[in-house]
Amino acid sequence: MNGDIVRLTLRQLVGKRRTVFMVLVALLPSVLATAFRASGEGDPAEWASTQLLGGMVVAMLLPLAGLVFGTAILGTEIDDGTAVYLLARPIPRREILLSKLCVAWLLTAVFVAASLLVAGTIALEGTDEWGALIAGFVVATVAGSLAYCTVFTLLSLLTGRAFIAGLLYVFIWEGLVTALFDGTRLLSLRHATLGLAGYVASVSRDTFDPELGGATSVAVLILAVAAAGWLAVVKLQRFEIGESG
Amino acid sequence: MTTEPERAGSIYDLGYRSYGGTRLGRRHAVRTVYVESLRSAFGLGRRASSKVIPVILLVIVLLPAAVHLGIAAASRQQMDIVKPEDYSSFVEVILALFVAAQAPELAGRDQRNRTLSLYFSRAIERRDYALAKLGALVSAMLVLTLVPQAVLFVGNAFTTNDALEYLREDAANVPRVLASSVLVSGLCASVALAIASRTPRRAYATGGIIAIFVGSAAIGGILDATVGRYGIMVSLFDLMTGATYWIFSAEHEYEVATELMFAAVVGVTAISVGLILRRYERIPA
Amino acid sequence: MPPGPGPVPIEVEHVSRWFGNVVAVNDISFKVGPGVTGLLGPNGAGKSTLLHVMSGFLKPSAGGVRIGDEPAWLNPGMFRRVGLVPEREATYGFLTGFEFVRLAAKLHRLPDPDRAAARAIETVEMAGAQDRATGGYSKGMKQRIKVAASIVHDPQVLILDEPFNGMDPRQRIHMMDLLRAMARAGRTVLFSSHILEEVERLADSVLVIVAGRLAASGDFREIRRLMTDRPHTFRIRSSDNRDLGAAMLSQPSVSGIELDREVMTVRVADFGAFTRALPGVARTRGITLLEVAPSDESLESVFSYLVRR
Repeated sequence: MNGDIVRLTLRQLVGKRRTVFMVLVALLPSVLATAFRASGEGDPAEWASTQLLGGMVVAMLLPLAGLVFGTAILGTEIDDGTAVYLLARPIPRREILLSKLCVAWLLTAVFVAASLLVAGTIALEGTDEWGALIAGFVVATVAGSLAYCTVFTLLSLLTGRAFIAGLLYVFIWEGLVTALFDGTRLLSLRHATLGLAGYVASVSRDTFDPELGGATSVAVLILAVAAAGWLAVVKLQRFEIGESG
Repeated sequence: MTTEPERAGSIYDLGYRSYGGTRLGRRHAVRTVYVESLRSAFGLGRRASSKVIPVILLVIVLLPAAVHLGIAAASRQQMDIVKPEDYSSFVEVILALFVAAQAPELAGRDQRNRTLSLYFSRAIERRDYALAKLGALVSAMLVLTLVPQAVLFVGNAFTTNDALEYLREDAANVPRVLASSVLVSGLCASVALAIASRTPRRAYATGGIIAIFVGSAAIGGILDATVGRYGIMVSLFDLMTGATYWIFSAEHEYEVATELMFAAVVGVTAISVGLILRRYERIPA
Repeated sequence: MPPGPGPVPIEVEHVSRWFGNVVAVNDISFKVGPGVTGLLGPNGAGKSTLLHVMSGFLKPSAGGVRIGDEPAWLNPGMFRRVGLVPEREATYGFLTGFEFVRLAAKLHRLPDPDRAAARAIETVEMAGAQDRATGGYSKGMKQRIKVAASIVHDPQVLILDEPFNGMDPRQRIHMMDLLRAMARAGRTVLFSSHILEEVERLADSVLVIVAGRLAASGDFREIRRLMTDRPHTFRIRSSDNRDLGAAMLSQPSVSGIELDREVMTVRVADFGAFTRALPGVARTRGITLLEVAPSDESLESVFSYLVRR
C-alpha cells in the first residue's frame, strides 16, 4: 500500500461528473423502497431481499459501481498517458495495483453499502428480518465490491474497451446466461454475492433463498479476487505502452 | 560554423501540382462518411478485436428467433412463442448495449483524434456530418432489428405445411415490422448519438447511454407504481414496446394508450436529433 | 555521483521489436556513454518504440537492453537511476506543478521530497508557476514540469522522447542549456528528435534510425567523413582567395574550385588529405585563412544521404 498513490487516485476519482452520476444512481433504490412502502402491498422482507437488495442493488448497482471505479483507476490513466508517471518509478507494480484497487474497492463498497443501508432500512423498517437482512447484504456487497473491482480492473488492463466488455459480462453473462443455464451460476459474481448474503443473514428460506450456498459463494469470491488480482499484477508488470500512445 | 545571410531569396519549383480531376462534391462526401461509419459500426475495416462486440450482440439478437424456430422444427408445428411484435422487447437490453458500444465509436473517434476540423474544411458541412453519422447508426440498428425478424418470418413460413398460405396471411405484418424497426432503431440511435456526441471519452458515453436506457426503465417502473399510470412513459424501453404494439394493433397490458407512447417515441427521437444537430453546429473543431 | 569507470550507462544489444507483421525496430545495437546523445530519425522510423524498449515499457521481441548493468524489461527498480520524459503531453491536470513534482519525489522515496521538488523546479525555472494547476499550463510549461518530475531523483540516465515539441525558441535554448549542464555533470542524456537542427546543436553524438534500422552512429561529422564516396564542399574566405585557389588546385585532394568575390568554394575528393594540406599551403604563401567551413556538413545532408542510400 502506498499512501501517495491512494491519495492521488482518490483525487482522480472523486469530485467529478462520475461521482455525481454515481450518487444519483445510488439514490434509486431508496426511491423504489419508499414507493413500495407507500403502496403497502406484499411482504416487505421477501420483496426487499429478492427485488430491492437482491435485484436492484446486487444485480445492478453493485456491478455498475464496480465497473465504473474498477475500470477508472488504471484504465483512465492508461488512456490519457499519465500512467507512465506512476510506472516509471522504482516501486513494485504490485504496490501500485493494490493501492489503486483499494481505492476502487473502498469507493464501490461505500456507495453500494450506503445505498443499501438507506433503502433497506426504508423497506424493512419494523420487520423482524431488518437486522439480519441488512447485515447479510452489507457483508456480501462489501465482499462483492472487491471481487467486481478486481475483475474489472483486470479487464481494463486487458482491453481498451473494458467498460463495454464489463457491461456485456453484467447484462449478458450474469443477466441472461445464468438465467438460462443453472450451472453457469457458479461463475457469476452476482450469485456468489447473493449466496453470501443469504448465508450471513440466514433468514427463512421462504423469505430469501439464493441458489449458491455460503461455502461455495465464499470460495467463488476468494478465487475470483485471487485469480484476477494475480493476473492484473502480472499484466501490469508486463505493461506495454501502446503504439498509438 | 558561421553562415552568411542569403543575398537573394529564391523559390524552388518542387513540382507540386493541384488536383486536376473531377471533384465528387458534397453528396459523395456525405455518402462516404455514411458508408465508412456504417462499416465501423460492425468493426468492418477495423482490426479483429473491434468486430468482437458487434458480432456477439448480433448473434445474441438472433437467439430468440433461432430458439423459436428450433422448437417449432422439433415439434413439427407452427408455434406462437416469439411474436414479431414482442421481438424488440425481448432484445431491448441487447439493442441498448449495441448503441452504447458503437455510438461512441462513431461519434467519439473523430473528437478524440481531433479530426473533425478535417471533415468540416471539406465539401461536407457540420449538419451533413451529423446526419451521416446518425444515418449510419440507424442503419446499423436496422440490421439488428430487421435481420431477426426476417429469419423469424421466413422460418415460420417454412415450418408450416403450406408456406404460401402463411405468407399470404402474414404479409400484412411486413410493413408493420418495417415501421416498428425503423421507429425502434431511430429512437435508440438518436438518443445514443445525442449522448455520445457530447464527449470524446468512450467510457463516459457508454456509461451515459446504458444509464439512460436502464435508468429510465427503473424510474419508469417506480413512477408507474407510485405517481400513476403515466409514469411508465419515462421508460424508453416501455415506450419502444408500447409504440410497437400500437403499430401492430396488438393486445397489451399497458394502462396508457399506446398511440400516446408512439407519439412519445417520435417526440423523443425528434428532440434527440435536434440535440445532435445543435451539438455539431457548436462543437469546436 | 561523479561518473566512475562503472558499467556502460546504456547498452542496447541486437534489439528488435515487431508488432504483428510490422518490424518497428530491426536488430539495433549500440552503447551510449555520458554526454548528450541524439536519437534522430524521420517520423515513424522507430524512435519511440526504441525508447520504450529502453525504458522497459515495451518488451523487445529479440535482444535486450541493459541500463547501468540492469535489465530494462520487468525491472522498475531501474528507475532509481533513470529518468524518463514521455512524449505525451498529459499530466495530472488537477495537481499543481509543485504537487506533481513532489509526487514524483515521494514515489522515489526521497528523504526530503519538498526540497528535492523545489530544487528540480528551480532547475527548469518553473518556480513562478509551481502553484498553478498543471492542467492550465502551456505545452512548453508542461514539457518543463515533466522534465522536473523526471530529474527530481537526480538520475544518472535521462531519456527524453521529443522533448522540444511545443516549445518556443527561448524555452528550447533553455532546455538545451539544461541538458548540456546535466551532461557536463557526468550524466547520460538521450533524447529523440526528428528535427536535424535540434540534434545538431545539442548532441555530442548521434544515433540515426531509418526505417527501424540503425543507419549511423557517432559524431555526425565523423560519420560524414566516413562516407568518402561523396565529395565534400568547403567554403573558404582568406586574405587572397585567388592565390590560395591556384595553389590548392595543384593538390590531388581537390577536385574543383569556384570563385565568387569574397568566398571560394572548394570541392574535395579526399577529406583527410585536404584538411592536412590546406594549413601548410596557406602558411607557405603567407595567406591568412579567415574562414574554413564545411558547407554541406549539416546533419541534413548526412541524413538525406543516409536515407537515400
